[in-house]
Amino acid sequence: MKKISGARIVIETLIQENVKVIFGYPGGAVLPIYDELFKQNKIRHILVRHEQGAVHAAEGYARSTGKVGVVLVTSGPGATNTVTGLADAMMDSVPVVCISGQVPTHMIGNDAFQEADIVGITRPCTKHNYLVKNVEKLAGAIHSAFYIAKNGRPGPVLVDIPKDIQTFNSVYRGKRLTKRISYYKPNIKPKSDDIDRIVEMLKKSVKPIFYVGGGTVNSGLSASNHLHDIIKKTGFPCTQTLMGLGAFPTSDKQFIGMLGMHGTYEANMSMHQSDLLICVGARFDDRITGKVSGFSPKSKKIHLDIDSSSFNKSVNVDLTVQGDLGAILKLINERIQKKKIVFQKNKIKKWWDQINKWRGKNCLKFKNSNEIIKPQFAIQKLDQLTKEFEPFFTTEVGQHQMWAAQFLTFNKPKHWMTSGGLGTMGYGLPAAMGVQIAHPNSLVIDVAGEASILMNIQEMSTIKQYRLPVKVFILNNHYMGMVRQWQELLHGNRLSESYMDSLPDFVKLAESFGAVGLQITKPGDLDGLIKEMIKIKGPVICDVVVDPSENCFPMIPSGSSHNQMLLGPDDKMDGEISEEGMVLV
Amino acid sequence: MNEKNTKHILSILVDNEPGVLARVVGLFSGRGYNIESLSVSEVDSHKFLSRITIVTSGTKLIVDQIKAQLKKLIPVHDLEEISESKNFLGKELILIKLNVRKKSNIDIKRRLEKFSVEILVDNEVELIIQFAGTPIEITKLLNLLKPYKVIEQTRSGLVSMALGFNYIKK
Repeated sequence: MKKISGARIVIETLIQENVKVIFGYPGGAVLPIYDELFKQNKIRHILVRHEQGAVHAAEGYARSTGKVGVVLVTSGPGATNTVTGLADAMMDSVPVVCISGQVPTHMIGNDAFQEADIVGITRPCTKHNYLVKNVEKLAGAIHSAFYIAKNGRPGPVLVDIPKDIQTFNSVYRGKRLTKRISYYKPNIKPKSDDIDRIVEMLKKSVKPIFYVGGGTVNSGLSASNHLHDIIKKTGFPCTQTLMGLGAFPTSDKQFIGMLGMHGTYEANMSMHQSDLLICVGARFDDRITGKVSGFSPKSKKIHLDIDSSSFNKSVNVDLTVQGDLGAILKLINERIQKKKIVFQKNKIKKWWDQINKWRGKNCLKFKNSNEIIKPQFAIQKLDQLTKEFEPFFTTEVGQHQMWAAQFLTFNKPKHWMTSGGLGTMGYGLPAAMGVQIAHPNSLVIDVAGEASILMNIQEMSTIKQYRLPVKVFILNNHYMGMVRQWQELLHGNRLSESYMDSLPDFVKLAESFGAVGLQITKPGDLDGLIKEMIKIKGPVICDVVVDPSENCFPMIPSGSSHNQMLLGPDDKMDGEISEEGMVLV
Repeated sequence: MNEKNTKHILSILVDNEPGVLARVVGLFSGRGYNIESLSVSEVDSHKFLSRITIVTSGTKLIVDQIKAQLKKLIPVHDLEEISESKNFLGKELILIKLNVRKKSNIDIKRRLEKFSVEILVDNEVELIIQFAGTPIEITKLLNLLKPYKVIEQTRSGLVSMALGFNYIKK
């Protein structure tokens, strides 16, 4: 068989992995790969403006399609710029393969120009990584990377390829005949031993709740469908985490809102009072649990997850099933069917009465104004006017992100891309770019804050280059709102460095990037603005100037439990935040 | 909940590839777990497998988490908590160099007879001995040698093995 160069092998393996798009930025150590990229037309390369943007774009692409997102960067700074993106993908379990160039093998360790030990640097923030020192193992490494990234609990994998390896020749026999270089066999097939017990527990419960997380979205449509079936058959209430939104339709009556720090009163109270908690692909994260010792104290807990290290990590549970959620939920659903179990709705009637009482608090209410735009109102309007287009939403990180989670409707999985675990400001714009590449005819909106958007604003240039009609909806309150909210609450209202001075004129900024800029300051102009934004074919930045003082409620102050929520600005805390709470983030 | 910190011996079979130790050790430091002792060496040169023995301490919950996290590492093939089995062996190797310039080494040697100590170097100035045993036995030996001038000592980490045929798989 004919020998081909390492660089060519990279391209051939990507083609065999069915890669259509890669996000990247060239440089000295990847020139041979870029040269091969030039010679082919099966893979489209999207030239980002910063390597962090490339990873977030790949994340957006991956999360909205379920495919692996691919990144190509050069050595040294090119590679180190991907670290935040890789850490983000790691925390949110996004399948990404990042290929980085490296200085030639004989130079490694010499502090060569643009050398960085990226395998060492990214070891804790990737699912796995490789430094390929032998061209014979290159194809195996890349196929392994794809396998690892998408199987088991998904995550980012980095493949570091020294420049000499890219130029050395080897034979490539295709994916089927190439031996993967890692032994990795995640267990995805659940044991059916405990399914009967689970069904029994579901039957017995009088105060049940489904607590659904991003694992359900990751698992795929079948998981969502079976979950939907089970929730409908049982009649149980369902809450979702920030990552889980859309796994079960949020407009359904049985959905009682997101839970956690900025979750709804009814969701958090239900978690606190329930007697059976069924965790589906979530991980009892600190944003969800609040004070662990006060977390859902009376419930039996079932945890279904693909990652057994999530079991009993922060919260002790009574029953665990490890495996792919689609398969687990299918087993449960079929067992219910087979045994012809009918769930008595009157058994949980009292529970629903209680939940509806909590709902009656209308915890997401806010005082609207005719003078000034309330950020919540802006999101509500955005939701109303875009719903029919089934838009994809991405966000940056902060207050706007929480309002988006609270007020937008998510009736389908994979339509909501937000940085949950790492909380990366600057995620939304490049992620939206990746989503738009994958769904060129869909409406893709980045709900942003004026602070976050500036963190990866350079990607407007990429958006222009590829004529991506991404819409940026900035809730501009002139503050790092969430920082300010915490300073008000925990630091005696000393607003240290949280005011956004010297902001750009977002309209001119949009225009300078070849996009359309729109700005409004009055609530009455929201409808017109959103309609115009949708109508415009190209990219748009909307600068929605909102009430600078609005805060995000409900809120569980740090170190508190689900039943100690603040429902609004007039709600006072019982005493001071504990010392324990003060050190939490 | 069992909140008591106890010692646990973990035996981990890994691919013998560059960086594998860094992955394992980095997991411990990154997640704030303890390493009390560590030893690693290749055990299968055909399959390129190494065996790492780690002694760690923590509550049962923490050790379960350590094990779950270790199993997630791609190069980890198998993991066994040796200290969970009823019968297991745990041995360390120690080399001790004694200054025997002023004292006669006959006295020392007599004392060492109880231990199955191997004398590696024996001359007018120094005595270098080797001993393999359980950590307790090694402590006993060191106590015995207290009156003498120990110049230096070096100790391997624990290596451990459970009895029976439920062994770590390849």
